[in-house]
Amino acid sequence: MQTVFISQLKPLLDTVASQMDVYIPCKIKSHFVFSKYNSNTGNEVELNNIRACTPVKEFLFPLRELAAIFPEPLVPKEIKPFAIFGLKDCDLRSIEILDKVFTEKDFEDPFYINRRKNMFIISSDCFDPGQSCICNLLSGKPFAGKGYDLNISKVNVGFIVEVGSEKGENFITKNSSIFTKAGEDILAERENNRAETQKQLEEQNDEYKLDAPVHEIVQQSYESDVFDQEASTCVECQACTRVCPTCHCFYLYDTKQKDYFGKMKMWDSCMRLSYARVAGGENPRKVLGDRLRHRFMHKFSYFLERYGIDMCVGCGRCVDAEAGKVDIRRVIKKLNEELNVKAK
Amino acid sequence: MNKNLYQPVNAEIIDIIEESPTIKSFIVQPQESFKFDTGQFVELTLPGAGEAPFTPSSSPAQTDKMEITIMKAGRVTALLHDCNKGQKVGIRGPYGHGYPVEDFVGKEVYIVGGGVGLAPIRSLFLTLIDRIKDFKSVVCRYGAKTPADFIYKSMLFGQWQKIKGVDIKLTVDQSNGEWKDNIGVVTTILSPDDVNIENAVGVVCGPPIMMKFATIKLLEFGFKPEQIYLSMEKNMSCGFGKCGHCMLGKYYVCKDGPVFSYDMIKNYPNIWA
Ligand SMILES: Cc1cc2nc3c(=O)[nH]c(=O)nc-3n(C[C@H](O)[C@H](O)[C@H](O)COP(=O)(O)OP(=O)(O)OC[C@H]3O[C@@H](n4cnc5c(N)ncnc54)[C@H](O)[C@@H]3O)c2cc1C
Ligand code: SF4
Ligand code: FES
Repeated sequence: MQTVFISQLKPLLDTVASQMDVYIPCKIKSHFVFSKYNSNTGNEVELNNIRACTPVKEFLFPLRELAAIFPEPLVPKEIKPFAIFGLKDCDLRSIEILDKVFTEKDFEDPFYINRRKNMFIISSDCFDPGQSCICNLLSGKPFAGKGYDLNISKVNVGFIVEVGSEKGENFITKNSSIFTKAGEDILAERENNRAETQKQLEEQNDEYKLDAPVHEIVQQSYESDVFDQEASTCVECQACTRVCPTCHCFYLYDTKQKDYFGKMKMWDSCMRLSYARVAGGENPRKVLGDRLRHRFMHKFSYFLERYGIDMCVGCGRCVDAEAGKVDIRRVIKKLNEELNVKAK
Repeated sequence: MNKNLYQPVNAEIIDIIEESPTIKSFIVQPQESFKFDTGQFVELTLPGAGEAPFTPSSSPAQTDKMEITIMKAGRVTALLHDCNKGQKVGIRGPYGHGYPVEDFVGKEVYIVGGGVGLAPIRSLFLTLIDRIKDFKSVVCRYGAKTPADFIYKSMLFGQWQKIKGVDIKLTVDQSNGEWKDNIGVVTTILSPDDVNIENAVGVVCGPPIMMKFATIKLLEFGFKPEQIYLSMEKNMSCGFGKCGHCMLGKYYVCKDGPVFSYDMIKNYPNIWA
């Protein structure tokens, strides 16, 4: 696969935008949120240092969508290709996790698959990791490993563009005139930058360093009181699960429209009290601490057992979003410490 | 691709049978033939109103229509109870794993049911009596709140009792005076002598509290956890292992169940809630 160079981002984005809609992270104070790129606004495009504050799942599995209608059936329509620019390694790994769920062979979600197939991914290396970024504790890296069509790495003189898929390869080949060769010197610079960012992350997260992989710690902590203790400040805003790029709980509900009946699919949250309530009022997780425990067990035990990977990428969005200050880093660290005390 | 797994098959309620003051059976005719294994469930949609999971109570041998027995338990089930013949509905499924009937061959099948829990069991029962010679015996113990609360009355008190190889005993929590049989919860009519436990399987279905105590009883009798099959009721939405609602430990009850052998789930807390 090719690795090429471009001195400015705008020509690259304009080329992509001439073929499909492009969404880019736009800065609002210190956060990035995705919005549609418009080449006419002529703004200098700023590369986001870290992931956007909203999860990429929005593009594949929207907050709310129509899933079925009556009496005529809803046939999923092909959608137009679209591109997302500035995704980070943690975003790509979250897509890998969602793929496991929604493209599973026995029950394929046609809406997800349609979007996924038509999504052109332009990722980029991180620099200046965010306060809550903990990807390094969850086998992630601050630069894309796999799962991208193109990846951008900022260097002093411009941007290295690396191809990661056939789709990306075709794009570069077709638009070769805007790129030049990437020299050895800038590739070396990229390696330096990456190592530097990785080091910065490790230093920043030193206080959360664990004695074992997260899943091993969580799996041994089923009985722990830490979940109840930590849940005591939770205000049940459910923001942790909404901004989480890997949480994928949803709820189907029926609506009456003017000329049809619809079945909607909407994001849900396992932190919600009535989430698991059955008719008659029984509820296996009435207590908030039990719901927090379930959230952790799902991420680090049940999902891992079923699909072979952790259901957490360490993006830190839940840490930023929590109104109740339930900090995943602190919970895991506390569980780790508790196990250490027990082992003594 | 592009098959929409969220889209129900259009169907119509062609008949309604009042089973008890709170339970009705709906004969539902799908537009296309609909196959299921006994113990699997479907999601029944009342268009515009809501959807809920139910285990068909009819025999899987019948594919042109199915019977669904529904207890009025909340919002959607109450709306279904208000429906009349001719109501258009939708069916998704079938979902999950039903009863492993082939594993029951040559054995005594010990069925313990309560309340509307007899619905999935009826489907199993019909499947078993269709080939009753393949099983050592079918022993059924069933309890209802009052005599009026028994469902499938005509079969339960008539036809089924006469089948060779079938042994049925009934009980009520409260009598209405005319009831001559046992009074007490269903565990009071269970006896270790009902079946030869070495060569038996237990099948339990009913309200959570009844499932719990019936399972404890069977374990006391000497049933091994892997000999006891439970049909688990959990909050469900999608029915195919994606939405997360039904999780019981690592299992999606909708996909890995709803029928589980007790040994699969016994180590998780709150399984009966
Ligand atoms: C596999 C399986 C098989 C079953 N088989 C049968 C059967 O054969 N016969 C039978 O009678 N019952 C059966 N049940 C039970 C039946 O599914 C429930 O009684 C039914 O779901 C109750 O729905 P309801 O809306 O009437 O009750 P409600 O108490 O109103 O709701 C039930 C659940 O749905 C959720 N819910 C409902 N509406 C909303 C809403 N608007 N927003 C958010 N959450 C909502 C609630 O949180 C609650 O957990 C089965 C259940 C399962 C899991
Ligand atoms: S969690 Fe890691 S990959 Fe994600 S934005 Fe932060 S540094 Fe980048
Ligand atoms: S009902 Fe959706 S995962 Fe089981």
